[in-house]
Amino acid sequence: SGELYCSLPNPRNVHFESINMKNVLHWSAPEGTGDGVLYKVKYAVYGVGKWIRKPECRNINRTWCDLSSETSDYEEQYYASVKAFLNGTCSDWVETTRFNPLTDTKIDPPMVSVSSTDKSISIVLTAPEKWKRSPEEESIPLLQVYPGLEYNVSVLNKKTKKRWFFSIKNNTLVVPWLEPGTAYCVSAQIHITTPVLDSSFSKEHCIATLKDK
Amino acid sequence: LGACRVSLSMTEIRAGFTAIKANIQSRDPIRTLSILSHPQSLHKVKSPDRCCITHHLFTFYVDKVFKHCRTEDSFVNRKISSIANSFLSARRKLGQCHEQNNCACGEKSTEKIKQILENYEGLNVTSAAMKSLGELDILLDWMEKSR
Amino acid sequence: GDDLLPAPQSVSIFSTNMKHFLTWSPVIVQGATVRYSVEFQGEYEREHANGSWIPISECSFTAATVCNITEDISASVAYKMRVRAELGSRRSPWQTMKGYFNRITTSLTPPLLSVIADGYHLLVELTDMGPAFQFRVLYWKKGKESMVQQKVTNEVSSVVHLDTMESGAEYCVKAQTHVEAINRSSSFSPTQCVRAQGDSSVWL
Repeated sequence: SGELYCSLPNPRNVHFESINMKNVLHWSAPEGTGDGVLYKVKYAVYGVGKWIRKPECRNINRTWCDLSSETSDYEEQYYASVKAFLNGTCSDWVETTRFNPLTDTKIDPPMVSVSSTDKSISIVLTAPEKWKRSPEEESIPLLQVYPGLEYNVSVLNKKTKKRWFFSIKNNTLVVPWLEPGTAYCVSAQIHITTPVLDSSFSKEHCIATLKDK
Repeated sequence: LGACRVSLSMTEIRAGFTAIKANIQSRDPIRTLSILSHPQSLHKVKSPDRCCITHHLFTFYVDKVFKHCRTEDSFVNRKISSIANSFLSARRKLGQCHEQNNCACGEKSTEKIKQILENYEGLNVTSAAMKSLGELDILLDWMEKSR
Repeated sequence: GDDLLPAPQSVSIFSTNMKHFLTWSPVIVQGATVRYSVEFQGEYEREHANGSWIPISECSFTAATVCNITEDISASVAYKMRVRAELGSRRSPWQTMKGYFNRITTSLTPPLLSVIADGYHLLVELTDMGPAFQFRVLYWKKGKESMVQQKVTNEVSSVVHLDTMESGAEYCVKAQTHVEAINRSSSFSPTQCVRAQGDSSVWL
């Protein structure tokens, strides 16, 4: 059907928000429009000749659309576009900037699990996985996507208030020769060297070394 | 890069490109064409002779692309100069591999390079140069992924 | 005419730890503030862009006689710099520095570090020298100079854990910087030694 005369203001701030390559298109409603605005979404693989409509995001009233499945090949780059409709009129298509899942995603901090003996603490870090369509689908560890993935670990002695920093490539760390009966708080960050991508530090996990026998 | 053992610091090139990526890509209105990734993504080229593709692509950017990317924006021009001079320095290192015959070109990579040049010639020079510059992260991602 | 202003003299570059500064002598005009503009030319511009020059906006119409050119000298190739004086609409000829500058000639100083013994743990705190720098830290148990261990880090905002120490033993540490972009390292810092907690005669 021919497009209507489009006099509606455009959707604003059309952009991808990506965490661990879960790539969700977000936008804001056109200026000055209340309820009742509907949207449709299309996307394109950069360099490939056609725009593809996203049926699940056709005539929706929410202002986001999950395009993770359509943008899961992180060796490609993408554009997405949104059009608004209200009371028989419409807006122009408004596009994102070019989206590169490899460099434009944010990485969650690793999961931290800590155990202790009287004189040491053992830390096991688990990096998040790349987004996947369903739990049954095979997981892709971020280490496979980013071969340069490392961990920065911070260990705080709650008694002395001193904080130590470790940089490790594998995901386990044992800190021996600690003070018995002392609380230590651990937080960790994922550090990717190429491209430069850092997660935030995880929240602190505190544990006390056992009291001297 | 295969038999060619050369250390190329991509960090500065990556930082320079990231600083102007949005600006440069916004000057390329053609969504449906790619210089490096048409018809097949550069990433899909699993070629053993990566040194050959890298050396030819660095020559492509130095000889054909950067000189046609001058803009009205002084900051962007300075970053393009930084990237261009880094490419020159890196190409010189790759040249050492050429001299030591560690940079052979197989059929697959020769075909890919030929395709890239055809894609480039298919557009007017300024559009082709700006599009190629906007695709620098495709090259960097491919180089860094297969280190 | 416009060209009556004399060109700035003694145009030279000072470069330490990958920070590069262009300096020149002031042009004196009684009762007036002379300003200056700076341009650079990399090897790419000379060989592939018709010898074009690129202005450094932060040092355009500056009254200073120094310009931080670090951001623009960002490749390991030969650069040329030039400066001219400006007073109102009057311009001096460009004064181009003699020879070329390549950042691989920057002078690298040893890192400042403090070595800490915290119980049985050997730690080091390093002073930030910029994103281009890595630190190669060597440490050994005193008397066991043949068994030197190494840690490479670029962490500067925290205390870096090197290793655990034997009770009561003395350990020594020294470090050098390494700049991957120019593939060069500084000389080593003076050696610092610290002693682990506990009595060295009792082996826990």
